[in-house]
Amino acid sequence: MIKSIAIKFLLLLSIFCGLNIIYTHTFYQSDLVKYAKEDLDIKQSQENTDVYYFGESSNITYAPDDSTQASISSLCNLFYPQLKIVNINKYATHAGIYRHWLKQMDGRKKLPKAIVITMNLRSFDAAWIHSKLESSLQQSMVMSQAYPHLMNRFLLALQAFDNKTVEQREKDMQKQWKTEQLIFDIPFKYKTVREWDDGMANGGHLTPDGKWDMKKIELACHYIKAYAFNLNENNPRIIDFDDISLWCKKQGIHLYLNLLSENIAYADSLVGKELVFLMRQNRDYLKQRYQSENTTVIDNLELVNGHDFIDQNWTTEHYNERGRMRIAKNVAEALKIQFNKAYIKAY
Amino acid sequence: MLFNSLSFLVFLPIVVLLYYLIAPKYRWLLIFIASCYFYMAFVPEYILILFFLILVDYFAAILIERNQGHKRKLFLIASLTCNILLLFFFKYFNFANQNLEAFGSLFSLHIKPSHLNIILPIGLSFHTFQSMGYTIEVYRGKQRAEKHLGYFANYVLFFPQMVAGPIERFQTLGNALKAEHRPLLENFKSGLRLILFGLFIKMVIADNLAPHVNLIYDAPLQHSGAEVLMAIIFFSFQIYADFFGYSTIALGSAKLLGIDIMDNFKTPYLSKSISEFWSRWHISLSTWFRDYVYITLGGNKVSLPKWTFNILVVFAISGLWHGASWTFVVWGLLHGLLRVMESYFSKLFNFKAKDKWNIISVFLTLKTFALCALIWVFFRAESFAKAMDIFSALTHNPFFGLKWHELAFPLLLILIMIIWDMALYTKRFDHFMDEHKAPVRWLIYSGLLFLLLAMAGTQKFNFIYFQF
Repeated sequence: MIKSIAIKFLLLLSIFCGLNIIYTHTFYQSDLVKYAKEDLDIKQSQENTDVYYFGESSNITYAPDDSTQASISSLCNLFYPQLKIVNINKYATHAGIYRHWLKQMDGRKKLPKAIVITMNLRSFDAAWIHSKLESSLQQSMVMSQAYPHLMNRFLLALQAFDNKTVEQREKDMQKQWKTEQLIFDIPFKYKTVREWDDGMANGGHLTPDGKWDMKKIELACHYIKAYAFNLNENNPRIIDFDDISLWCKKQGIHLYLNLLSENIAYADSLVGKELVFLMRQNRDYLKQRYQSENTTVIDNLELVNGHDFIDQNWTTEHYNERGRMRIAKNVAEALKIQFNKAYIKAY
Repeated sequence: MLFNSLSFLVFLPIVVLLYYLIAPKYRWLLIFIASCYFYMAFVPEYILILFFLILVDYFAAILIERNQGHKRKLFLIASLTCNILLLFFFKYFNFANQNLEAFGSLFSLHIKPSHLNIILPIGLSFHTFQSMGYTIEVYRGKQRAEKHLGYFANYVLFFPQMVAGPIERFQTLGNALKAEHRPLLENFKSGLRLILFGLFIKMVIADNLAPHVNLIYDAPLQHSGAEVLMAIIFFSFQIYADFFGYSTIALGSAKLLGIDIMDNFKTPYLSKSISEFWSRWHISLSTWFRDYVYITLGGNKVSLPKWTFNILVVFAISGLWHGASWTFVVWGLLHGLLRVMESYFSKLFNFKAKDKWNIISVFLTLKTFALCALIWVFFRAESFAKAMDIFSALTHNPFFGLKWHELAFPLLLILIMIIWDMALYTKRFDHFMDEHKAPVRWLIYSGLLFLLLAMAGTQKFNFIYFQF
């Protein structure tokens, strides 16, 4: 019986290898386009690429009345016309996905000289960590795992990735808001996001006639949930950025962490100085943790004016052309560390 | 835990391996632990409901057996009441209240009944029916009450069939669970073949049809009649592939443990009549209703009007069993009505379809499929209004507006399904494979394996019958 099983097992293994070859030459490419387009973009980008720009919606969102719809990365490219800057973009992406994208370059003969990675302060918050979009982001990584292509395709169908339900993610998010203690250097009455949010929800803003200003309250609550956290080494994004930083160091690639602008003035007027304190404290933490010989943290946190944010009624990092141009210029300035000779003053 | 998940594909071999490694007398404990673990992957605390159900029916059966006369009946009624109340509480409470509210509003009464915001325990209708079947059998004297609580618990909990059937009788599953099984190559071969085929049917056919069906059913009025017609046909195959796929994996998983459970499907869409369809579709439920409801009501030994009434009652309950909504009741009633009409007409014209295939039987098969497909609309639509939208959309531009490039793949899948059904008309997949020589068998394995690994649907679709 054992001999018979062994023969069958070997036969099955050979069939699998054959099927894997057939799959790789038939459907694999179209599946990559369908499920992991960014991985394919990285794999197909030419090896003479100088700089990769990894971003999310902030890079490619524009206002309807913008005179140019150029992305931050393309605007940045204006300062370095001789450099080949390749832009890889996906909505709601975060450090975990960027790390995965970097790994797609493993085994290349020639690596880029620099990588610019978008660092969105909100991506460190509980709402983004436990976002319902996370499952589809996790799904996008399955096709490029270190298994045979056919196996990866099957794992995708088996939903073999972090595929928690929306309800479970919501539960995890609420738990984090309720239990994670906020640490301030200044006296403050609220200890958690939940407490702070409840405090704001109970009449935090009044209209001139003394009624609750529900619109403002709602937005203020949203700001609290988006920015009220203390960064530390246990944050999953920090763990991922640590990995990214280490990988770049090993490969000898200069890493630029493009910390995006947030609407600080609005956060101040809506919620107060305590929230701004946390935002700045987290910015300082990131700079302190990552700024090194090999890594540059480009601090844009307070660079863009409040009115240059496209979404005034929500927390996003979507800027109009003025905002994008300012950030692109700042990134271009930072890149001078390596590419000073190639720099031209574009605007 | 879903059959089409990585966790199950790891869980099953571990259980099978341990099952044959440990001494036979402890195997019941392994099955019990494995089944609890399997069930608790959904909503862990709901296992307590199952334990309650097991204890009630375990003791009820013993008491029925030990007592005589009206006491026996009393214990049976107590057991059935417990089961039905449990089912009612979790499945029908909100439905009953909605109807009460609607009924009250007819008389301008503003009844505001409470609404339970709870998730239906997965497979509850299956466990309760299986368990009720057992106590009825003990009451009828056809089965002795099981004294070993562990074996009885396993009969209710047995993980391959616990969440969506087949609804087994204790005479078969209960005794099979007690038997001592040796690791036989034949069982492994059969089991693995069935699992491969079941996964293929579910993950390739059903899961690739589902997105097309959902797209149309979500907004039927935005699509042409031809597209809606396609969705109706696709859903008929989706639900078949989904449930048949589940049942086949269940069969294969049990077979790996040396346990035979019943076939729940026998190519139902090749039926020439509605009555034949019900002898081939969800067989375990049909036979349950036949044995415990239809026969209790008098079976066919009653007058024609009474028989008609009985058939309609059985089908209406069967519809309600599927879901707490009037759409399911209508689905059941329509099947019942067709069943009755078929019987009247066949008596009137003294017509009986022949087993042999000819042009008439092909026509009858197509007619039966068309009727079933149309009635499935009530099963799939979330409400009457949605069902009506589907039928209304059917009349708009019924012959054009098809995007053939999008339909080519699902149509190909349906063709594959039809070919398989024709091949498996009188036999099960594992037996079908036995009839072929090794090169043909391995060619079929390779084809199925390739389609499964490379073409399985990538969206998450739970087994449709899990919700019941």
